[in-house]
Amino acid sequence: MTLDLFLLQLFTGLALGSIYVLVALGLSLIFGLLTIVNFAHGQFFMLGAYVGAFTLGFTGNFWLSLIVVPIVVGGIGMLCERFLVRPLYGRGIDYPLLLTYGLGLILLELVRIFAGTQGVPFSTPRFLAGAVDLHFFFFPKYRLFLIVATAVILLALWLLLEKTSYGLIIRAGARDQEIVQVLGVDIGRVWLIVFGIGVAIAGVAGVLAAPIRGVFPEMGVPVLVEAFVVTVVGGMGSLLGAVIAGLLVGVTFSFTSFFYPEMATLSMFVLMALVLVFRPRGLFGRAGVLG
Amino acid sequence: MSTAPVIATEGVGKRFGGFRALNNVTVAFYPGRLTSIIGPNGAGKSTFFNVLSGAFPPSEGKVLFEGRDITGTPQHVFPHLGIAKSFQITNLFPQLTALENVRLAAQALKSRFDIWTKRETLTELKEKAEELLDRVGLSKRRNDLAANLAHGEQRSLEIAVALASDPKVLLLDEPTAGMSPEEARAMMDLILKLNEQCTVILVEHRMKLVMGISDRIIVLHHGQLLAEGTPDEIRNHDEVRRVYLGQSV
Amino acid sequence: MVAESTTVGAVRGPLEGVRPAFDLIARHRVLFTILFLVVLPWLAPYKALAVNILIFGLFAMGFNLVYGYAGMLSFGHAALFGLGAYGCGVPIAKFGFPWYVALPLGIIIATTAGVIIGWFATRSRGIYFAMVTLALSQVVYYVVYQSIWLTGGEDGLRGVSVPSISVFGIAELNLLDPTTKYYLILIIVAFALWIFSRILGSPFGAILEGLRENERRAAACGYDVNRTRWFAFILSSVFSGLAGALYAIHLSVVPIETLHYFTSAVVLMMTLLGGMGTFFGPFVGALVYLLLQDVVSVITVHWQLVVGCLFVLLILFFPRGIWGSLMHWLRI
Repeated sequence: MTLDLFLLQLFTGLALGSIYVLVALGLSLIFGLLTIVNFAHGQFFMLGAYVGAFTLGFTGNFWLSLIVVPIVVGGIGMLCERFLVRPLYGRGIDYPLLLTYGLGLILLELVRIFAGTQGVPFSTPRFLAGAVDLHFFFFPKYRLFLIVATAVILLALWLLLEKTSYGLIIRAGARDQEIVQVLGVDIGRVWLIVFGIGVAIAGVAGVLAAPIRGVFPEMGVPVLVEAFVVTVVGGMGSLLGAVIAGLLVGVTFSFTSFFYPEMATLSMFVLMALVLVFRPRGLFGRAGVLG
Repeated sequence: MSTAPVIATEGVGKRFGGFRALNNVTVAFYPGRLTSIIGPNGAGKSTFFNVLSGAFPPSEGKVLFEGRDITGTPQHVFPHLGIAKSFQITNLFPQLTALENVRLAAQALKSRFDIWTKRETLTELKEKAEELLDRVGLSKRRNDLAANLAHGEQRSLEIAVALASDPKVLLLDEPTAGMSPEEARAMMDLILKLNEQCTVILVEHRMKLVMGISDRIIVLHHGQLLAEGTPDEIRNHDEVRRVYLGQSV
Repeated sequence: MVAESTTVGAVRGPLEGVRPAFDLIARHRVLFTILFLVVLPWLAPYKALAVNILIFGLFAMGFNLVYGYAGMLSFGHAALFGLGAYGCGVPIAKFGFPWYVALPLGIIIATTAGVIIGWFATRSRGIYFAMVTLALSQVVYYVVYQSIWLTGGEDGLRGVSVPSISVFGIAELNLLDPTTKYYLILIIVAFALWIFSRILGSPFGAILEGLRENERRAAACGYDVNRTRWFAFILSSVFSGLAGALYAIHLSVVPIETLHYFTSAVVLMMTLLGGMGTFFGPFVGALVYLLLQDVVSVITVHWQLVVGCLFVLLILFFPRGIWGSLMHWLRI
């Protein structure tokens, strides 16, 4: 394997991993603060793609879609949290999980009803089409954009969490909810916003992935499994873990599909199995966090 | 009194991230004795108790039982070795009856993967549970759900559950927590009686309670062993008096 | 919840008369369930539905062992059911094995999967368990999907035909007759029910209850929590695998959807609907779910929307399920 080829596979893996990172990030964020595993996460991904497709269809402006998607999907997420998930707090760790699964089914079927079962077209925006010369290899412009966009989102999230007072509340709330409440913070509002951000990121992942994966109702179904694998590998509730694991899974997939294509999809499960054998809490998971 | 310790620690230390809870604690407990571990809040008593009872392994050092190194042994092996514990915050099976709580605890040493025998035929377990409930004074409440018992009764049930494994060493974490003075005295009487059958190691933060009944007292402070000796020796120990300044001994 | 009263069984007025009847049912649960199932074909709109209720009731019962009794939320039981189905179907369809070899084979394959998946899954706690079981069962789905030469891939397995069963060479039982098929399967299910009841009433059954109540306490008493959970998962896969094997014989085909995680959600739904942690609940849940599906599918193609709403409503307002709520009201 030459250096050129190696780098090409690596970058392809990073582009693929970027989507994984975004989805897993949202999942981990929601779990970290609300201790909820959002089984509807894949459907919010799908919603993002649809909202993006429709915005693009109406306005012809790709950038506008990227702005509208997190707002709309985040909004829908917040509505769901406030009226469906919130009543379940304190009832046990299984209930929100089950409810979000049901929610996912509803979202999926509603999309089928209102947008049809065949899917909608979503072509790569013209200014991002084609390939760019990265000296060692030619790389699709859009995939490079994916990597950059993900990095930007990560930076924005990091800034929010580390540099703003709101981020401080979120981080503190993840550690100890009681203290935060005692300090006068409306924890309900924090949950609402965090859930909204979490699914908004998934929605953005969906619209970003749309030119590559296409837009159809079932597109979110495998995404849930992928998000889980990445989260198990990275460690539930760990944002750094979501990033590292997402990229790791993407790169593993990329290299496996080069050497041994049939095993490519299985490769991420093998990775997960290895993590479960040697480090069950995940690469960056806190020990006993779910004990 | 035999000369070999039944349970001992050698240089035990415990870190939680950056925080050091225990530092180089070397202590031996001899069979048949009632030893109390005391110390001000934050002294590391609970951490030490947890290491001793197998809740988690120490970061450094060894735990020895009858001369054998049992450091790092998983929690569920301890009752099979002969070490039983009760919890500081009541930890029972809430929706099971008092009788079933003890019966289930007793079952652990007899049958863990039997999927065929009918439970009722294991009468010796039920009889043992009845006997233990009687010993802690809970016979009348045998058919009541653990969750419905009064706090003091739950603490007594904790002890009965711990006794179900016929332990050589009984570890009790603040058994009188949340009890009224009369209840606490009754509990201490019970513990004294239990001491006739097994070694008892007790964590308490109310010094007065343990002074009268202990054979030996261990004082922890800031995660380290401050003093060790008979109640009289501890009572007159300069360091101990200084640490407990303001508390009547 | 009972607060002051320490006597078990203070009963509300109007239900007092019914209580002794339900007490009797609870004590002879196997008999009652079998009686109900004997009568079922005459209550159900058509026989094939009754067979489905039987099979999915068994499947849900296996699942209930893990979720209702042991308290572990598995999202991967489709793999056990599906492997039971393929494990029985492939030998019959591709290799011409007789049913009495293929059926046990299906159970063995499902149980082997249960051993492996269970081992990985029980290394994780709580929420991870659901995620890991989901992921691992999708592996099974994917592998079977790809193995077109053996399993038929996306189109499913065809040709699992067992037209008749000969009993010791004496009688020939025609499986194409729905009634005969139902009662033959019922014999097997009844046997499974009996074994399941023995397990629940065994020392191991008591441990599962304790584990569900308080894991830490169980460990402190001397129970190896992970081993126990693993064993419960393995036992569960025996029942779910048997259900799958029967399903293959019943349908004469094995659709690939049996392995998809939606099937895991279906059995979960049935268990919730009926009442987790109850003996009869899974069959009630299977009956209600399948009947509902039958009725709704006539009206609209969007059955999944109804399932989703059902899930949400159940969780929000009715987590004990139908039978579970009934049992609960009668206890108070």
